Amino acid sequence: MHSLKKIALTSISLMVMGLLASCSASSDEATELTIYSGRSEEYLGDVFEKFQAESGIKLNVRYADSAELAAQLLEEGGNSPADLFISQDAGSLGAVAEAGLLKQLDDSILNQIPSKFSSPEKVWVGITGRTRVFAYSPSRLQDLPESYRDVTNPIYKGRVGIAPTNGSFQAFVTALRINAGEAAAEKWLRDLVANKPQYYEKNSMIVEAINAGEIDLGLVNHYYVYEVSKALGREIGVKIGFFEKGDLGNLINVSGAGILKTTGKSEAAAKFLAYLLSPYAEETYVKEVQEYPLLPGVEGPQGLPRIEELGAPTVDLNSLKDLRGTQQLLIKVGLL
Amino acid sequence: MLTLALLPLFYLINRVRTISKADFLAILVREKTVEIVLNTLLLALVVALASLLIGTLFATLLFASDLKSKGFLLAISALPLAIPSYVVTYCWIAIWPSFRGFWAAALVLTLSTMPYSLLAAFAALRRIDLVQIDVARSLGSNRFEVFTRIVIPQIRNSIAASTLLVALYVFSDFGAVSLLDVDTFTRAIQNLYRASFDRQSAALLALILIGFAALLVFGEARVQGKTSVTRTSARLRDELAFLTKPVAKVSIFLLIVGYALLALAVPGYLLISRLISNFDGIDFASLLRATINTALVATLGALIAMAFALPLAWTIINSSSRWAVVTERAVLISHALPGVVLGLSLVAFSSALPWLYQSVALLGFAYALLFLAKGVGAARSSIERVPQGLKEVSTTLGVSPLRTLGRITIPLAAPGLGVGFLLILLTAMKELPATLMLRPTGFETLAIEIWSQASINRFNEAAPYALMLVLIAAIPTFLISRPDRNHQESRAGRGLDGVA
Repeated sequence: MHSLKKIALTSISLMVMGLLASCSASSDEATELTIYSGRSEEYLGDVFEKFQAESGIKLNVRYADSAELAAQLLEEGGNSPADLFISQDAGSLGAVAEAGLLKQLDDSILNQIPSKFSSPEKVWVGITGRTRVFAYSPSRLQDLPESYRDVTNPIYKGRVGIAPTNGSFQAFVTALRINAGEAAAEKWLRDLVANKPQYYEKNSMIVEAINAGEIDLGLVNHYYVYEVSKALGREIGVKIGFFEKGDLGNLINVSGAGILKTTGKSEAAAKFLAYLLSPYAEETYVKEVQEYPLLPGVEGPQGLPRIEELGAPTVDLNSLKDLRGTQQLLIKVGLL
Repeated sequence: MLTLALLPLFYLINRVRTISKADFLAILVREKTVEIVLNTLLLALVVALASLLIGTLFATLLFASDLKSKGFLLAISALPLAIPSYVVTYCWIAIWPSFRGFWAAALVLTLSTMPYSLLAAFAALRRIDLVQIDVARSLGSNRFEVFTRIVIPQIRNSIAASTLLVALYVFSDFGAVSLLDVDTFTRAIQNLYRASFDRQSAALLALILIGFAALLVFGEARVQGKTSVTRTSARLRDELAFLTKPVAKVSIFLLIVGYALLALAVPGYLLISRLISNFDGIDFASLLRATINTALVATLGALIAMAFALPLAWTIINSSSRWAVVTERAVLISHALPGVVLGLSLVAFSSALPWLYQSVALLGFAYALLFLAKGVGAARSSIERVPQGLKEVSTTLGVSPLRTLGRITIPLAAPGLGVGFLLILLTAMKELPATLMLRPTGFETLAIEIWSQASINRFNEAAPYALMLVLIAAIPTFLISRPDRNHQESRAGRGLDGVA
């Protein structure tokens, strides 16, 4: 009994401490911003800290998965405590924008980057670019695909890895539906399934599987090869390949941000958003994650072609929010 | 209180109400749904059965032997409880990249749920009526007959209840199945939220999941016998031990140590080697903060859960109405809820209340709802085991019912209530999906830090948080497995038997 009492007392005092701590943290001043960030602390932490030091505005950052944060924002609706939403991909931003939760942005922010990387409704702005590529094993794969269409070729049967539950794969399928039409998209997916690909939960697992010799080819985003190699602390037997110029397989998606309508601090939020697009911040993204900067004049990742040379297809990023149709198609062909 | 426990259900029904008939059919009538149903049910069945068989076998062997190291064996076989399923799975995949699919998930989940079955069976064995065994033996029954006719019926309720909890847990698990690419309901639900912001279809799937959970729960009720055993003798259990030969004892020892190695060696080796390879990079301040936050909010959750569980259990025991049965079953069903569903339903209900939304209190409340079944189960069985005679004597002596509750029932049930508290504490420490959604902004727990590093493949950086989580979760795990606690209970029980 004695120990039970002790546990109870300790836990109550801990609780009180916690409640006090949480009270002081949530006190609302115009000098604080609440950020929902779908990008991780390791990537953005330095930029956030520098902004805090320079502006005197405190950032309360909530890190989680982009799409889960979007679902949470949709559920919060008009009650959201968030001032700003930073997302890994255009799809999550689009879903939040479609629900009418994002504020119009100033042209002064939007005009900094090429307009194709922002929402046409001017409610969110792109921050970095990430391109779809194929990752492959140079030692085991000689015939490289020239188009995403080639991936369904029988010579790759059982050798391809995809991540159908992952947002980046689904964004590609959305682009495919919109650019090639529903019927063509369905046919491609069915051919892909018939080619017996291996399924993975995440892009990084595809790269690891190629490195481990399980598969030879995979559809991923460009920075995963770098990321996996960095995580393992050594060179890996996986290379990045681009499809031919203009092929949909080279789709560029963006990470971006928008300001919530519920914010009472538009000015501070806009100031922060502008900072996210500053040369310093853009350079940091390139250095930390090897993503493409969207701000003209900032040097892109080393060893990769420049963003203009990628031959990326023209895709309206705002249309990528139609994930519902994609999901239904993926359900139909049995990938979800 | 039941209304609070049913919040997620109201939320789901509200979401599904607006779904169109075409969408409804599109979700229900498709091959993938059949696959999801089969995967979920088969996985739950395989894991629950494996867990039941191994757990009961180990418990019986331990019980029937006079090993000196029983306490040690119980502790190491309970330890896998301290490792979250997503951590175990990451570790297996890291060592063996082609470790995936249904059987991989079945293995991981069996290894990590078996301790529940083992501890429940062991505790039940300690309570069996030894006189019946003596009588049966004197009437010429062999050991096998004694086991099947006397022992099994007496422990049946306990192990059925723990098996049910294991099956429901498998329903709700996300970490292992998603990493191993097994499509179950919980994974499909999470993917729908994640990939299409399709809250209606996800809610529909969640309701179907709840339907299956209800079938299981009511199915288990049919297995539950009415035999409420009151022990009439309290002879020392060691007299029963018949596995006394060194060969038998060494075999049992090796068997259980083997299980523990299988369950602990892979995550242990991987986490420690990753920790060492990046020892200089550990952010100790962040590690300490996350540890304190984890302990704090899990403790709060366990306290709230027990505060709910006590009156619920009390009602279930003392009311013979159908409501009591429904209440108990509803609480059990909620155990199968994926954390993401509970998380979103609490977002929907509380985001209009700024003082509550994303507070430590709300997160504690979420844990309480998620793991209430464990609390109610523990409270119910420990209160039921307080001898009726004692309460009657107390009443006869003119003591008010409330005073009887405070002076007789609660103190005698305290060890059992403590186990319930510890079980919830342990599980809440490992919880991830609801924590991601409901934690105060900037409030990072160990589970959050593990997720945050692992989501960008920084496994070396995730290792210290994972190891710390295992270490602090090992404390409640160890306390639960401690046989002394059972001794205490039996000592108390013995005294009571005398009075009754």
